[in-house]
Amino acid sequence: MRSVLCFGDSNTHGQIPGRGPLERYDRHTRWPGVLQGELGPAWYVIEEGLSGRTTVHDDPIEGAHKNGRTYLRPCVQSHTVLDLVIIMLGTNDLKVRFNKPASEVAMGIGCLIYDLRELAPGPGGSVPEIMIVTPPPILDDVKEWKSIFAGATEKSRQLALEFEIMADSLGVHFFNAGTVCQCDEADGFHLNADAHRALGMALAQEIEAIGWPALERKG
Amino acid sequence: MRFAPPNPLRIADRASGLNAPTVRSYNERLVLSLLLQNMGISRLEIGEKTGLSAQTVSVIVRSLEQEGLVSKGEAQRGRVGPPTIPLSLNPKGAFSVGVSFGESAVNVALIDFVGSVQYHAAHPYPVLQESPDGLAASIEQGLLTLPPASRARVAGIGLAVPDDAHVSQHVRELLGRDLADVQAGIERKLDLSVYIQNDITAAAGGESLFGSARSLSDFLFFYLGSQLHSRLILNYQIHSGKAGLGHNVGLSRLRDELDVHRLSLDDIGLGIQSGEVEALYARWRRDCCRQIAGSVQSLLSFVSFKSVVISSYAPTKVGQNLIADLQDELPEVDFLLGCNSTAPKAVGAASLPYHSRFMVQ
Repeated sequence: MRSVLCFGDSNTHGQIPGRGPLERYDRHTRWPGVLQGELGPAWYVIEEGLSGRTTVHDDPIEGAHKNGRTYLRPCVQSHTVLDLVIIMLGTNDLKVRFNKPASEVAMGIGCLIYDLRELAPGPGGSVPEIMIVTPPPILDDVKEWKSIFAGATEKSRQLALEFEIMADSLGVHFFNAGTVCQCDEADGFHLNADAHRALGMALAQEIEAIGWPALERKG
Repeated sequence: MRFAPPNPLRIADRASGLNAPTVRSYNERLVLSLLLQNMGISRLEIGEKTGLSAQTVSVIVRSLEQEGLVSKGEAQRGRVGPPTIPLSLNPKGAFSVGVSFGESAVNVALIDFVGSVQYHAAHPYPVLQESPDGLAASIEQGLLTLPPASRARVAGIGLAVPDDAHVSQHVRELLGRDLADVQAGIERKLDLSVYIQNDITAAAGGESLFGSARSLSDFLFFYLGSQLHSRLILNYQIHSGKAGLGHNVGLSRLRDELDVHRLSLDDIGLGIQSGEVEALYARWRRDCCRQIAGSVQSLLSFVSFKSVVISSYAPTKVGQNLIADLQDELPEVDFLLGCNSTAPKAVGAASLPYHSRFMVQ
């Protein structure tokens, strides 16, 4: 069996658009669940989504534990051996409080890739396959999040290119979620059930397209 | 340094498309060559055949996709798990023009990225010599048939030039003494790279890249033009023998003989010929077949190959008859008719820019 770790924020956690952080789609509706259904029993899909998670920043308001980088290490070690790590982060880095351009969010993703390579949680201490996924762009209207995400919409549209440059430069897999789904109008930056479904299906194809050698049967 | 901004190298190439004389990495060329030989293979298969890591294949394929050189096919279902996606070269990803110099006319062919002929014209020498930029203008005429968006995707121009021994007065007058001058002149006028090769070698290269010999590493190649010429391909390398060696069993002899009866090559096989014409055609076939079979047999005692490719612009019927005769004569060898029957030398010439820019040997 192969393992894939889905490392993300509220859109991996499955937070329902327009609702609070405790309201979450069920396992089968969230994209990692859709992915599990598509990939079948040959894969073990691990969900690691946290609302408010950033790439590399301690959040002065929501807390230091939102820092994706500090949590990645224990998280990956808990779940080794991993064949694939999917990282879908970046939306929270666009909050005004962090004041970061899209290119620097991509550099945050780059740090996580470096850390994964150092950790080498793949089979036999190898570097696993790594796929970075650009979240879909934030909509123009983000309701009561307007001040928190001021200027974020424009930057979120630049993420795909910046992430792809990073993926090419570091030689990892890349997928732009914006090509298959968009954020829900209820709050402008969360995914609804349809979007989760579309993303899970598309990522299953992407994972298959990576090209995996046949698994050796045991026993 | 560790967290320096990434190198925007590959992405930067995209905006410029094919115009920039990009030096492609060996691995990119390897993937493109593989796709040319195996349309519709998956990334897994690319990884297996090249030994490249999945991540490297992923980055290369993504970059080639963005540049429009590679396209995804329909996802293939029917197995357990999610569908796999076949990859192919995008025919509209690149174009190339080839020029060959025949006995009476200059052939200009424009091909797409998978070698299909999109445009072909034969310009008689007197017509070309009347216009000031004759050669460049005839190439430009071909380029103008492309939609404007595709014109930036032209990889270059190839010239298939005959050996000195076979250069007619027409060709000599058109090309002058110095090929480098011709090359520089066309490059200056059309702002595209020009590649030059011997015409028979170019025809063999075209069959090897796009045609009947696509998956063959070793084969013997015959070009049945006015005369009969040959090349030996071993391990994808094209070898030529004594310069200018040709056999007078080619189409010009047949044409001359038919001419006496006021017939042309196209009349062959229409079933309206007299017994006399049938006899001369049979005689020509026998002589041509004997010459080819003789070469094949004598060469087989030195090198081992299983396939012989015969390329010709002759009517398909003529080629097929000859192949059938040869197959009877030497059943242990595979005789294949070349795919490039429209101006094989010009199509071969058009493959030169692809060889130089996208392929590994």
